[in-house]
Amino acid sequence: MGAQESGLASNADLKSALAEGRADFWEQLGRRTAAAEAFEDVWFLSRLRQRARRSGPPAPEATPLRVALLGGTSLFPFQELLEHFLAAEGIATELFVGEYDDYTAQILEPESELHAFRPEVLVLIPAPQRCRYAGGPADPRERVEEQAHALVRDLLGLCRTASERSGADVVLANFLPPAGIDLGPYRSKTLASDWSYTKLVNLELGLQAPGTVHLCDLEFLAARLGTPEAEDARAWFESKQPCSPRLLVDFAREAARVAASTRRTPKKVLVLDLDNTLWGDVIGDAGLEGIELGDTSPRGEAFKAFQRYVATLTRRGVVLAVASKNEHEIAMEPFEKHPEMVLRAEDIACFKANWEPKSENIRVIADELGLGLDSFVFVDDNRAEIEIVNQFVPEVATLHLGDDPSRFVRLLQDSGHFERLSITEADAARTGQYRAEAERRALASQTTDMDSYLSSLEMEARIRDFDETDLPRITQLINKSNQFNLTTRRRSQAEVAALAASADHTAFTLRLADRFSDHGLISVLVGERRDAELVLDTWLMSCRVLKRGVEVEALNELVARAARLGCRTLTGHYLPTKRNAMVRGLYPSLGFELVEEAPERTTWRLDVAGYEPRKTHIQCKSETA
Amino acid sequence: MNQEETIAQLQGVFDEVFLDPVVLTPELTAEEVEEWDSLIQISLVIAVESRFGIKFRVGEVEATQNVGEFADLIRKHLDG
Repeated sequence: MGAQESGLASNADLKSALAEGRADFWEQLGRRTAAAEAFEDVWFLSRLRQRARRSGPPAPEATPLRVALLGGTSLFPFQELLEHFLAAEGIATELFVGEYDDYTAQILEPESELHAFRPEVLVLIPAPQRCRYAGGPADPRERVEEQAHALVRDLLGLCRTASERSGADVVLANFLPPAGIDLGPYRSKTLASDWSYTKLVNLELGLQAPGTVHLCDLEFLAARLGTPEAEDARAWFESKQPCSPRLLVDFAREAARVAASTRRTPKKVLVLDLDNTLWGDVIGDAGLEGIELGDTSPRGEAFKAFQRYVATLTRRGVVLAVASKNEHEIAMEPFEKHPEMVLRAEDIACFKANWEPKSENIRVIADELGLGLDSFVFVDDNRAEIEIVNQFVPEVATLHLGDDPSRFVRLLQDSGHFERLSITEADAARTGQYRAEAERRALASQTTDMDSYLSSLEMEARIRDFDETDLPRITQLINKSNQFNLTTRRRSQAEVAALAASADHTAFTLRLADRFSDHGLISVLVGERRDAELVLDTWLMSCRVLKRGVEVEALNELVARAARLGCRTLTGHYLPTKRNAMVRGLYPSLGFELVEEAPERTTWRLDVAGYEPRKTHIQCKSETA
Repeated sequence: MNQEETIAQLQGVFDEVFLDPVVLTPELTAEEVEEWDSLIQISLVIAVESRFGIKFRVGEVEATQNVGEFADLIRKHLDG
């Protein structure tokens, strides 16, 4: 048995945990149940649970549910497996089990035991022999379809009657597809073959089922397992079993899941990690060009496929959020600029990239979205992050993705977290609504949070005159910066060197470092003295350090320099381009007054003598000679 | 494996299938054990097949009269 290798308790471990009344018994039992595939394992676990209920450590509280089980097959041992899997889902059952093949009478007779029981959920396993075409293999298609539709109509009619009389949700099993090779190539050329006929009936059952009828898709489960493993003729002849013992486990687990999902709020939010979850490598280290994403490498392709799957989740109403240990601006960069990104900023309702613990960020996301933590699923490639969330926000379901991105999609699919009984058009619009809500709430709490956030960064800035060694970086910024750039004047390194040497110009740079990283040289300013006026020739800044107060420190320095040069006013120009709308409002926000407005240029002025240096959360050092 | 050894191994399977302890002897019959009805028999047969790695033919197990005969049937399948 591989139980020990995978960190699961063995049968003997469980028995002694029960004998000693250990508190972790129920957790171990739950984990074994979730992983169990063999019939005898589930049976043993179920028996152990029943023994523990009599004398063992106190069981976790469970919601009681009245479940009726009817069918045209033997309902034992399915009944016990169903009960066990429901218990594992936190649902205690009061069970009513019908007799062999009495479901039609139980449902149609108003005074039946079924109706007296008043089920909340009815699990129905129809008789498999009903799903056989009665005519010959050469019959016209219409005749076969007619018979299939009659079967579907009768069966769904029964389900409808059952749910109308009792108000129960019906979990209806469909029919097991045959494994026999039988007709050969002709099998798929006629609807009259057992294979085609079963598929037709199953398909129609699903397509025509009303809202209160939920399919337990035995055909899908059998296909997943392999039809020869799903079928068991001997089990049918000996005790009218619906399928093999192995499939019976999957069948009961699925029926329990469907039944449970009628009684529980579905998962609504998927919280995603970024580095090594949505792309390969660490964006803060590898940079935009260095991350693995897209069709140029197998790993990049796998990450992109995972993103594509996550994107499809939004169409079934799942809201996406991000919790990443990163600088916000850096983490946003791929969403805004990477050509291979499938997910875009507008797909994420709530984006938290910072250095707080992820458990805290998930709480904040829940607050901002106005959704309960029990509707959250968190995925991460890093087990430590998963453990932290498990420990500090245990309501959140977690999924550890591991280190093989080709497995991410299946892991998330098979977790079943985003199963839906139905999907409506309204679901697809959900992300937009939650995003707007999150933005409002975030804004409301921003002032206080922002201050403490900025002060927690322990930022230090250094101001220096243009310096020989900095010239390449200054030139690079001058020719590259688009967004935070008020004049967008491009210059060669020789021209920059000339500015540095010019007596009519004052030119300086800012460097910024914080508790977490050194951002290096991130802002460049050049002023030109014209008599009693200092005119801003260039003012640019890297977007990585937006909204931290760097621009305020830059202005404090500018005004001080203007005063030293004997200038009475500071004049700024804004030259609009396609990409610098971000700084259109910069001058007025800093107290400048509008002097002149033209489409190609606005001019702003600040009185030097009247300027009070502003406070920021940055410790600023000027290293000017 | 002789009958005694087979029954000893079978005891382990019974311990996992039945709720209450059952002490196996060759002469023990289903009628003597309250829990041992036709329903639990289904689970018992599945567990025995899996633990011993064998597959009974249709109707075979039903024909055995007591634990000893059941053990002999298991031995027959183990010998191929």
